Amino acid sequence: MVVNLGDLTVSILAASLTLTMPILYASVGEVYAERSGVLNMSIEGIMTLAALVSLWVTYSTGSYLDGIVAAVLAAAAVGVLHSLVTVRIGINQLIAGLLIYSLAGAIADFGYGLLTQKTFPIIHPIRPVYIGGLSNLPVVGPILFSQNVLVYASFAVALVLGLVLYKTTWGLKVRAVGENPEAADAAGINVNLVRHLCVILGAILAGVGGASLVVGYLGLYNSGDTLVAGRGWIAIVVVIFARWSPYKAIAGSWLFGLGYAIAAVFIGSNIFSSLGPGTGYFLLAIPYIFAIVFIIVFHRGTKPPSSLTVPYKRK
Amino acid sequence: MLSQLRSGNYLSYLLGILASLFLFSVILLAFGYQPLPNLEGLATGSFGSVFLASETFVLMSPLLLAALAFLVPFRARFYNIGVEGQIYVGALATYLAASQLGGFPSVAAIPIVVVAAALGGTLWLALPLVMRIKLNVNEIFPTLVMNFVAIDLVNWLTAGPIKAPGSANLETPFLPTSTWLPVIPGTPLDLGVFIAIVAAIAVYFIVYRTVLGFEIRASGANPRAAKGGGVDVSRSILAVGLISGSLAGLAGMVVVAGQEHLLAQNFSPGYGYNGISVSALGAFHPLGSTVAAVLYSALWIGGEGLQRGFEAVPIQLVFALQAIIVLSVLVVQRLFEERRSRGR
Repeated sequence: MVVNLGDLTVSILAASLTLTMPILYASVGEVYAERSGVLNMSIEGIMTLAALVSLWVTYSTGSYLDGIVAAVLAAAAVGVLHSLVTVRIGINQLIAGLLIYSLAGAIADFGYGLLTQKTFPIIHPIRPVYIGGLSNLPVVGPILFSQNVLVYASFAVALVLGLVLYKTTWGLKVRAVGENPEAADAAGINVNLVRHLCVILGAILAGVGGASLVVGYLGLYNSGDTLVAGRGWIAIVVVIFARWSPYKAIAGSWLFGLGYAIAAVFIGSNIFSSLGPGTGYFLLAIPYIFAIVFIIVFHRGTKPPSSLTVPYKRK
Repeated sequence: MLSQLRSGNYLSYLLGILASLFLFSVILLAFGYQPLPNLEGLATGSFGSVFLASETFVLMSPLLLAALAFLVPFRARFYNIGVEGQIYVGALATYLAASQLGGFPSVAAIPIVVVAAALGGTLWLALPLVMRIKLNVNEIFPTLVMNFVAIDLVNWLTAGPIKAPGSANLETPFLPTSTWLPVIPGTPLDLGVFIAIVAAIAVYFIVYRTVLGFEIRASGANPRAAKGGGVDVSRSILAVGLISGSLAGLAGMVVVAGQEHLLAQNFSPGYGYNGISVSALGAFHPLGSTVAAVLYSALWIGGEGLQRGFEAVPIQLVFALQAIIVLSVLVVQRLFEERRSRGR
């Protein structure tokens, strides 16, 4: 088989932006949660639950918007649970996050079981937006100007939430609460209220990320965490890589989107089948090997928000 | 003081579990299932016969080993979220060693397999461990990410290089029978169950009865004070890392050599992650985790019974119940702690 390397590169780059989308939503949300001092390890579970809900509702109503709204509500509910047990009660954030990840995943798979009793739900993902003549340009046309609206929105959300974090009073409050809650409290900021809101915002964005994977890419659900397939965990790694900045989360998410795209395109094209059966599985490890290398290379100078994982109690 | 603390703890378990069972009953009702017969089914499905009780203990062994693998480093404040991946590599090492030992008698083969599994698990923790000790990189994310690499590695090998020729399943050939862990005749109880229980007792002694254990706990309670008091915190972390990786490797070994007798793709239904929940339910204490592992696996085996039972309740509801129980117990414990510290 002769492979045209130019075409292959274009299709990898185009897929990389689509695959950036779910990770970007989730990682920008996690930036807010962690900036306020709360590590949310349940992102993967929230994305899974939101993915199922978006499929179910879009499939039954025919409306993408309904599907996304329902997914956001489900994700927000999980976020409320997480912020209650970690911020209000103050149990170990790592353990709470892992438990809520299991809980949300179990609920999603239970829901999928109920749904598939009657039907086998598949939807058409949202169509790409073709922007006039731009989409017909060689190379940049298919890469930049033939994505769907959820892809464009993910980049816009990251930019807007970057502005909010660095240029508004509310963003200042979020950063203050995560860096020095005692001082923030003394300045009249309601520390735990800010944290509740950031955790719920983070959960909502993870929900949009999970929904975008179904509505904006795959159009179906698989049980047993094979759909989100680690993107929620990757989003948490991206936050470190991005040094808790929504802007840098764009670059970090794209690098992992690229890793997923390389794996997907190579598996699809069977280039590696000559290396023996099963090699495709190992290509799936590419994004994770990326992640480990990044952590080793970029660990210097990464300093998490000072009060990350420390619950706040007024003296 | 101590007894007061303990009774508060038992009460929190009672309250947490009762609250969870109540919530579970409400969920069952909401989806049109009958709560009481299904709750009874959970109990009879896990302990209702010698066979079922044995199944419960067989499932307990990887869960308990995984829980121990998490709790030992947790006591030194080293968060090994990578138990799942270390289980996979321990299982892979089990297969690689056992498949070479066909001619050996069990007495020689099984110890070699045990050592290989422990080395495999430790190998998979080595990189995050070195990153933590030498580069001061937090271990949570490296250990987590290594899980996926391990699973993909086993997926690849069981689909290609070590796949059983001609098999329709993605799995290796059977291990030589001399490397199978022996069972108590007439039951499914294998040596793995005893290995897990002995490991729990050994961990108890190491953590609570040795100088190393004291240093581990001191490093976890207050690293700066421990350092000031002459404890080598890096050495404690290295020690807990080696113990943890070995225990995780053993968890993979008891499944492969004790239960399935081959290495299959996705053989672990999340033993590593569930082990973290079990250790949290067991208050990060080796003996508490033993009880927690029995409870956890009883729910699991009972849940499988419900799924086959008269109303075919999906097991995902029982998985949700497991998470709800641990969350509720942790919440109640935390509330009690707060009341105690306010009452002082």
